Amino acid sequence: MHATPSPPGRGLAGLGPALGTAGVVLALWYLLAHSGSVAPGLLPTPGRTAAALADSARSGALAADLGASLSRAGQGFALGAVIGSALGFTTGYLPVVSAAVTPVVSFLRPIPAIALVPLATAWFGIGESAKRLLIAYAVLLAVWLYVHDGVSRVPVSHLRAARSLGAPLRRRFTEVLLPAAAPAVLAALRYGASVALLALVAAELGGADSGLAYRLQVDGQFLRVDRMFAGLLVLGLLGVTVDLVLAAVGRRFVHWSAS
Amino acid sequence: MSLGVRLEALSAGYGSAAPVLELTDLEFPPGSFTALLGPSGCGKSTVLGLVAGFVRPTAGRVTAGSEPVRGPGPERGVVFQHYALFPWRTARGNVEFALKRLGLPRAERRRRALAALAEVGLAEGAQKYPAQLSGGMQQRVALARALAAEPEVLLMDEPFGALDALTRTRMQSLLRELWQRRGTTVLFVTHDIDEALALAGRVIVLGGSPGRVLADHAVPAGPPDPDLRALIARHLGSE
Ligand SMILES: Nc1ncnc2c1ncn2[C@@H]1O[C@H](COP(=O)(O)OP(=O)(O)O)[C@@H](O)[C@H]1O
Ligand SMILES: [Mg+2]
Repeated sequence: MHATPSPPGRGLAGLGPALGTAGVVLALWYLLAHSGSVAPGLLPTPGRTAAALADSARSGALAADLGASLSRAGQGFALGAVIGSALGFTTGYLPVVSAAVTPVVSFLRPIPAIALVPLATAWFGIGESAKRLLIAYAVLLAVWLYVHDGVSRVPVSHLRAARSLGAPLRRRFTEVLLPAAAPAVLAALRYGASVALLALVAAELGGADSGLAYRLQVDGQFLRVDRMFAGLLVLGLLGVTVDLVLAAVGRRFVHWSAS
Repeated sequence: MSLGVRLEALSAGYGSAAPVLELTDLEFPPGSFTALLGPSGCGKSTVLGLVAGFVRPTAGRVTAGSEPVRGPGPERGVVFQHYALFPWRTARGNVEFALKRLGLPRAERRRRALAALAEVGLAEGAQKYPAQLSGGMQQRVALARALAAEPEVLLMDEPFGALDALTRTRMQSLLRELWQRRGTTVLFVTHDIDEALALAGRVIVLGGSPGRVLADHAVPAGPPDPDLRALIARHLGSE
């Protein structure tokens, strides 16, 4: 029943320009690093970066850091996304609730997650739960806002049509509000995932003994720019991969939406 | 099977602003086809919203059959100006949404949805999504969906306003045909005098601020009456 063709140019063909740009950046990096105009201690060559990456992959450090970071970000994201979506549906559907909580959200939203690290540490220590909660909090705010916006924009005529067609509240939620807001929920989850990575880095820099950002900090103390470049590369690729996966999953569910 | 509708000394407004509607008593007998005609902003949609149960009156009462209207209900079907189809459901899925209330087995629901689409001349578009259908086809789906819930009153808010002239004429004959077959009570909002005269057995002209009934004419069966058209045009123009 959902067998609609996917829009053209969104498959592998859409990767062409992106790969082209990546190639150009890589070439420029290569030329700059080999030109001798920047000290090798500040800018590693692509080759040295690749070697550093291979090293950490071989030693198992990469897998351990990736696992620790993914677990934190994933759990924090899941918690924040679930609560944020629930709040978004509530405030988006009920303007009265929305009017009551909007001032609070407007106040909290501009405070970056990193500014909350000291407080989170004071309250919850430097353990895993503090990190998860910090990530969840940042994701919650982001997802809430997007979902709220999407739900409040659901055309009133859709909800009215459903009521006139005799659909009870439960069906109006699962068969109208939920699918109508699905494109916004998908956008919220993609944005929330990027926020989760930002908060992850903030949380790990605030005190951790494993993780991609923790490793960056350690490598920074030893001025290992090749390793730092490798770590940044992994962080970037992680973000891109997560977004591509969410977008692909979303296109399967939200096949009717152009965005 | 159809219900009459009564509006008793109805007033309506939005928020604290001035009332937008102040009507004398109006009665729509079961099976009647009435056009509500008037310029934009005179309160036509508000009248439909009151009967549909989307809008609460500030004074007066709406009854459908013997029951006062307390909110939307499936005995009062609505066809919206912009169709209000669910874009995540196919044409058939949209009609099935209306049928779910009847608690039919899946296969029967499917059969009835296809029959309803065939009735509006859209048998071959059943598997298409609204975005893949033209405006006229979308309006056919909307009509099929509204009728599938077996309403006894059908409320239509400028349903053909966005269609081209040819499609519009086709939809008008289709609607007449369906109405004759089913005998549903129809309230049809339009700002097009010729559409009102082509479809309805009665034309009510609304106007003024707050909106009220300016004229109420029976439309005799048979060929169009130019004198009646001129008379109604004068009521409309007196705004
Ligand atoms: N949701 C609303 N909130 C505030 N005012 C409204 C709303 N809907 C309609 N109105 C006002 O009520 C009046 C009648 O509107 P409406 O019933 O939509 O007229 P029509 O359908 O004849 O164009 C207009 O002046 C319009 O601005
Ligand atoms: Mg209107």
